[in-house]
Amino acid sequence: MESYIRFADSLSAWFGKVFGWCVMVMTFGVGYEVFVRYVLNAPTPWAFDLSYMMYGTMFMMAGAYTLSRDGHVRGDFVYRLWSPRTQAKVELVLYFIFFFPGVLALVFAGWRYIGRSWRYLEVSVMSPANIPIYQFKTVIVAAGILLVIQGIAQVFRCIITIRTGVWPKPAEDVEELEAILQKEGAAALRHGSEAVDVVTPKGQSR
Amino acid sequence: APAVLAQAPIVLKMQSSWPSSDIFQEMAQQYVDRVQEMSGGRLQIDLLPAGAVVGAFQVQDAAHDGIIDAAHTVPVYWYGKNKAASLFGTGPVFGGDANQMIAWLYHGGGYDFYRELTQDVLGLNIVGFLSFGMPAQPLGWFKDEITDASQVSGLKYRTVGLAADLFQAMGASVAQLPGGEIVPAMERGVIDAFEFNNPTSDMRFGAQDVAKNYMLASYHQASESFEYIFNKDKFESLDPDLQAILRYGVEAAHLANFAYAMDQYSSDLQKLQTENGVNVKRTPDSVLQAQLEAWDQIMPPLMEDEFFAKVVDSQKKWVERVVFYSLQNSPDYRMAYNHYFPGKL
Amino acid sequence: MTDPQIAILMLGLFIVVIMLGFPIAFTLMAMGIGFGYYAYFDADRMRHLFDNRIFDLFVNQTYSVMANDVLTAIPLFLFMGYIVERANIVDRLFETLSIATRRMPGSMAVAALITCALFATATGIVGAVVTLMGLLALPAMLKARYDERFASGVICAGGTLGILIPPSIMLIVYAAASGVSIVRLYAGALLPGFLLAGMYLVYIIGRAMLQPSLAPRPEEPEEPIPTGKLAWMLLTSFFPLAILILSVLGAILFGLATPSEAASIGALGGLVLAIAYRALTWKRLQESVYLTVRTTAMVCWLFVGSWTFSSVFSYLGGEHIVRDFVMGLDMTPLQFLILAQIIIFLLGWPLEWSEIIIIFVPIFLPLLPLFDIDPLFFGILIALNLQTSFLTPPMAMSAYYLKGIAPPHVRLTQIFAGSLPYVFMVFVTMVMLYVFPQIAYYLPQLFYGR
Ligand code: NA
Ligand code: NA
Repeated sequence: MESYIRFADSLSAWFGKVFGWCVMVMTFGVGYEVFVRYVLNAPTPWAFDLSYMMYGTMFMMAGAYTLSRDGHVRGDFVYRLWSPRTQAKVELVLYFIFFFPGVLALVFAGWRYIGRSWRYLEVSVMSPANIPIYQFKTVIVAAGILLVIQGIAQVFRCIITIRTGVWPKPAEDVEELEAILQKEGAAALRHGSEAVDVVTPKGQSR
Repeated sequence: APAVLAQAPIVLKMQSSWPSSDIFQEMAQQYVDRVQEMSGGRLQIDLLPAGAVVGAFQVQDAAHDGIIDAAHTVPVYWYGKNKAASLFGTGPVFGGDANQMIAWLYHGGGYDFYRELTQDVLGLNIVGFLSFGMPAQPLGWFKDEITDASQVSGLKYRTVGLAADLFQAMGASVAQLPGGEIVPAMERGVIDAFEFNNPTSDMRFGAQDVAKNYMLASYHQASESFEYIFNKDKFESLDPDLQAILRYGVEAAHLANFAYAMDQYSSDLQKLQTENGVNVKRTPDSVLQAQLEAWDQIMPPLMEDEFFAKVVDSQKKWVERVVFYSLQNSPDYRMAYNHYFPGKL
Repeated sequence: MTDPQIAILMLGLFIVVIMLGFPIAFTLMAMGIGFGYYAYFDADRMRHLFDNRIFDLFVNQTYSVMANDVLTAIPLFLFMGYIVERANIVDRLFETLSIATRRMPGSMAVAALITCALFATATGIVGAVVTLMGLLALPAMLKARYDERFASGVICAGGTLGILIPPSIMLIVYAAASGVSIVRLYAGALLPGFLLAGMYLVYIIGRAMLQPSLAPRPEEPEEPIPTGKLAWMLLTSFFPLAILILSVLGAILFGLATPSEAASIGALGGLVLAIAYRALTWKRLQESVYLTVRTTAMVCWLFVGSWTFSSVFSYLGGEHIVRDFVMGLDMTPLQFLILAQIIIFLLGWPLEWSEIIIIFVPIFLPLLPLFDIDPLFFGILIALNLQTSFLTPPMAMSAYYLKGIAPPHVRLTQIFAGSLPYVFMVFVTMVMLYVFPQIAYYLPQLFYGR
């Protein structure tokens, strides 16, 4: 089970991180649009479609990655009071009745949905540039498959927790600044590549 | 939902592509009222606005899947699946208006093509009808009055369907947005001119707040109609008389919509002029001429598609005969109007 | 049970089930699919158990979230925020502002507030601002023998301002949920945001003047800082951030760019800033990207769940029954407004803003026309109101962030007590906004004529 969890975590992280770079594509693509519109007075017919496609692709493909790092927000004001064992028991049940029906629907009903789109090689109706959208719709199924794989790993996590009484640690990863600081305190400000550097202006005592 | 009593009415969930504030939603309601009354209460249509169940552009997919039973929309919203969809409302203008093109659906073979496109070419599980020959759609709303075709070049312009290709051929940069997005898009600078549909719809979503020049007359969408889509399984599961009511109700709504449009569109145009200080002008002939030339430019690649070409040929053949009669026969209404209301036009 | 009653059951059940602590996005999805399965159950049309159209509806709504052009701004603003957060700027800023405000009463608290407000506005990441300032400004204030409550309240409240003052992600989310133009929302939220920040400032200075023991005047430095040097310090810390924010906002408000476009300009500007501060490394860029994609996924999957939920809710006729119920209460618009805001305030105790706006606000939105309440105005009231959700226990995230890094002798109750006056000021601002709605409408009318 541990090795499956490691496999699923790294698979989800790989896809999530790779598609994370869509934000850079958006930043430069949309920045280019603004440039050519104002400087050359020649807007592109593709930037609008590009931006929602990049956004939609990145958040869908990162759904499993976020799940693997426990990044989906919970209403945990009661949950956090429970013992890990209780948490895991409840979660185990909920994965089967809450999680899998939906993500399997993404795969199977999504397959029908994108199948139609591929059949008529659907293009965007938002631009006259005939920008294809069937590949974009395909993301629904891809994201669904990743979530199924990751969901199984989460089920294994629950089982391990029910056995041992401790949640297995998630893989090391980049964390929110506040999380790093909460853990390491002010020291993190002065070392650690992930944190900000503190620059003390010369001549100033703090 | 399951378990309804035998006596209870059959409820159809119909979603439109319009917000609840749009006049199109009222026109859809005219249809719903007629159907319900004619069925003696056996059919009940639950009319929902855009976004209630699915997005405005998603209604055809939703009707196919049976997520909704019916939809009130226009074919341009799904022309990304096949460009020929535009020929059922927003295609090239050979001289026929929307009512003459609805006549083509009935007697020129149009409905066969429509059925072939939706059911055979695209494989959709839907049945559809078209009605309400819309008055030609205005060239739209601009920051400056359009006096010359060259002004269109370089504009960031909102339209839909093949009209997008048309305006692009005229040099504009085109965005296709749902109606509800137009005013925010003007505010956001996404676009700097747009057309939607008619004085009432345009006024209701606040076009006059973001532009002050309204140009009437255009060839970009001169023959559009509403599309009523039904999930085919659902439609065929109904008793034959109820199917007939749904089908012929579309014809009844055609006239009801037209009468309502004449009243509302004209009085709202007047309001725009007198109360909102909108400069209402007729599009100059030079721009209309440029539009016809732009149509000529965009047609050849589209005509490479066999189905598309087949439909266009049929439409042309129809227009050549029918519109000859119509134009030769109709007296010059402008002359009469000028006679009784001199100086108004 | 009738379908609309089932819809109400669905809503009630969701509020209970949310407490099980399962990720909310998937809880919403499950409620939508479960009740949708019932709504679309039709034995004649289903060939097998899984042949239910709710699954198609779910896919359809997922695609609508993916193709939503308002939400595209979210990853871009987040990316800008993470880049700026890592650009070594907050520390310089606080240092410089402390010197610049030295002669004011409560000078360090004033400097902390301005730093928080500015930094939070640029990054929009409340947790990072509160934590960073808790590490930098709180020890400095405590060393200068500031009162614990006073010092911690400033940081908690100041850091929270970032979700209100545009460009704010919360307002984008509200725009996507309500259909109100994001540009008009930004214009509308600007003055209320400044008003609230101004009120905080007046409070800090006022308290420090009335009770100097709360905020003792710092000792004079041995050698005073020359004006030229101070100007240079301001030029390299305060102004780059201020200019970044102003150019992003200006581009949006003057209609030069869409929020997404302005956000990408902001992200590019953040990159330039980080390079200028010699803070941009390959590793930090990677980290910013990865954090951006995770946070975007968190917010947008909530939308996937919520849109599925609300589709089924309205398919079952839930909106009608809520509407009829509220109409039956026979309330005046003011009563309705107060009731709605109290509910949102109470939801802010256990929940965070994203859940409240994405899940609960859409229930109020269809009711607004009944009472002739402008959704723009309503949205700004909510944005103000949700400031309190970070400060009120049990889920007072700002207070928890601060407690996590504060010296051990600073107690959580002191942090809550220090935040309380700010919660009160939020209410005062909301009342002022109700009495003088022009505070919200002035800028939208100025820029867009309505
Ligand atoms: Na139009
Ligand atoms: Na709270």
